[in-house]
Amino acid sequence: MAFKRVPQKFTATVNEVTIGTGDKAITLGGENVLPLYSFDAPITNKARVGVQITDAGYDKTVPALAAYYAGAETIADIAKKASEMPGADFVVLSLEGADPNGEDKSVEECVALAKEVAAAIDCPLAIQGSKNVEKDAVLFDKLAEALQGKNVLMVSCKTENYKTVSASAAIAYSQKISAESAVDINLAKQLNVLISQMGVKAESYVMNVGAAAAGYGFEYVASTLDRVRGAALTQDDAMLQMPIITPVCDEAWSVKESIVSEEDLPEWGARETRGVQMEVATAAACLAGGSNAVILRHPESVKTIAALIADLT
Amino acid sequence: MGKFIVIGERIHCISPVIKKAMEEKDPAPILKRAEEQLAAGATYLDVNIGPAEKNGEDLMKWAVTLLQENFDNVPLCLDTANRKAIEAGISVYNRSKGKPIVNSADAGDRIENIDLAAANDAIAIALCAKTGIPSDNDERMAYCQEMLERGIGLGMEAEDLWFDPLFLVIKGMQDKQLDVLGFIKDLSDMGLNSTGGLSNVSNMTPKHIRPILDSTTVAMAMYCGLTSAIANPCDVRLMETIKSADIIKNNSLYADSFLEI
Repeated sequence: MAFKRVPQKFTATVNEVTIGTGDKAITLGGENVLPLYSFDAPITNKARVGVQITDAGYDKTVPALAAYYAGAETIADIAKKASEMPGADFVVLSLEGADPNGEDKSVEECVALAKEVAAAIDCPLAIQGSKNVEKDAVLFDKLAEALQGKNVLMVSCKTENYKTVSASAAIAYSQKISAESAVDINLAKQLNVLISQMGVKAESYVMNVGAAAAGYGFEYVASTLDRVRGAALTQDDAMLQMPIITPVCDEAWSVKESIVSEEDLPEWGARETRGVQMEVATAAACLAGGSNAVILRHPESVKTIAALIADLT
Repeated sequence: MGKFIVIGERIHCISPVIKKAMEEKDPAPILKRAEEQLAAGATYLDVNIGPAEKNGEDLMKWAVTLLQENFDNVPLCLDTANRKAIEAGISVYNRSKGKPIVNSADAGDRIENIDLAAANDAIAIALCAKTGIPSDNDERMAYCQEMLERGIGLGMEAEDLWFDPLFLVIKGMQDKQLDVLGFIKDLSDMGLNSTGGLSNVSNMTPKHIRPILDSTTVAMAMYCGLTSAIANPCDVRLMETIKSADIIKNNSLYADSFLEI
């Protein structure tokens, strides 16, 4: 008997969330098929790649990054170059220097920086906070106010600060927010419920359900992504239908493979090559699991992942 | 498995308020009951217009349009003995949120309601009975098979036949309760959908007892594989039980606020 292919498309869909404005605005989500299953039904919006820069610029110990950003003196210059990286869809400014346990940059300084970055680029902007929940509550509030009309994505709010971030960034200033949970499906759903109960509309938030570099507990990330997308599509669970954004680079560039120098472990080869491999492997696996956007650093990773998305969408 | 589907039963012409509203085509009482039931977690709303021999077609069209216009094309269960009224209702029905349900067919005089559902790409509630209450599960299964074959023969998908095991009143038919549950298990083992008028079980019991009997029955029936019920979603205990059973059955992912959604 001839094989009869039955497309597996669902009546449920992932929510659509748009970030940025104008021609270069991007929409995440909208699909009614499993990740990259474009053979079952057209994928409404392809997955997107964000290029991360930080308040300190970029990682100058990585030769290709230094080469790519050569000549860029200010954060605005660096942001502009990031936005022009082949394969980039949006720029992500990580304000890691705002962490009170680190440099503790002031909110005012961070806001000024973010405004410079926003002015320098014409693609959408996402901003990662300091990862300190108290600082981020204040930071996202002031950033959202200062960047009104830019439709910026704030990455991310957590259980500890979702109330402030929802009320301020999402509702008062009409920006987009991301709900972060650490590889915990029940908490991911719960946080989405709480944010929706704050009055944030489905088209105003995405989720970051956690990340890990390949080989560093990624199997938990994979099962979380599977379960979340499964509930969204097969069980039509409205509280798990948010698009997923995954900051891959923060994980991929902080594990041993990406850090240890070639001098210390010559048999592993060049450090930079390893870092790119970690970033590409992790990002590809996240996309296969259901991420609608990944955040990367290295031009080679950005190019490779953008090509993968183009080929599989 | 998908989540358990509650068909809200409170738009029923046996209620004097609804009867009057239907006679006078007064939207307010009907909309109020629809809103309460949807807020409480109903997926479908049953629209029972009674025998409606005179103006059934007109009345059903009015009710379907009224409810769907006001509640984002809420899916409806069209409940009347008047076949033409069901057809009229379907003719104005918007199916973007779900197919209409024909309530109901049986293996006796109302078997042609399966034909009606098949002709209109609707779901049919198929009561596993002919005349009176079936004596045992073999008889129930024979009726189920008869209706299943008829529906499939007319091009229906098996999933669009929701078999009704016929819930029986506990007070008086205590010895039959496990039979009904066993039959639900049989339907589930065959991969069939099921539904039924849950509150039958607590008929004639004191008002404060009814939610307890209804919710205990639904929990046991959901364990046996019941996929839907025609019930009162405004019964908080019942809805908490259904939501909890959906969590335990892994039909819905747990979150601390699961009772609120």
